[in-house]
Amino acid sequence: MQVLNEIKATARLALWTCAWAASLALAKFGPRLLWDPPAHVTSWAAVAVNLAVGIGWIVVFTRFLHTVDELQRKLLQDALAITLGVAWVVGFAYIVADTAGLVARGVDVAVLPALMGAVFLISFLIGKIRYR
Amino acid sequence: MRNRITDLRAERGWTQAELAQRAAVSRQTINAIETGKFDPSLPLAFRLARLFALTIEELFLDEQ
Repeated sequence: MQVLNEIKATARLALWTCAWAASLALAKFGPRLLWDPPAHVTSWAAVAVNLAVGIGWIVVFTRFLHTVDELQRKLLQDALAITLGVAWVVGFAYIVADTAGLVARGVDVAVLPALMGAVFLISFLIGKIRYR
Repeated sequence: MRNRITDLRAERGWTQAELAQRAAVSRQTINAIETGKFDPSLPLAFRLARLFALTIEELFLDEQ
């Protein structure tokens, strides 16, 4: 029963993650590829859809945390803590360096979520190996 | 925290996966508890003790 619930929750989370990624891609590339010339109303609608799906994704992830067993929850929470810490530290270091004029070339803001995703995945896998 | 789960499980001929299914947790969780890498929550400790018809104190050994 527990395993079945975890599989269902994982599938639901995967579905919402895909939906969020798709809505993000729509909001990012839509103005250039789908509704050219750019229409402000359509672009704002795409951003609103992305935000709404994102909120749903957060709710589903929170529920997912309650569904998995306690060791998995600990691994996920550890990975989330490391991810938040890295994003916080790297983010502020970048802001300070940028303010001081040390950054010659601006970094795309999309690098931060990509970095967070990579750190989360690596932290979670290390936890999985540690408690194997 | 040390525990007697490995011995008790062996006495009953249960695999880690079987015990995990009975306790409604993953096999990885049972393995981590057996090897002392992870201390279970109180509800899970009660569930495990109940499965072996023991009290928590009989199943888990306080090292302090």
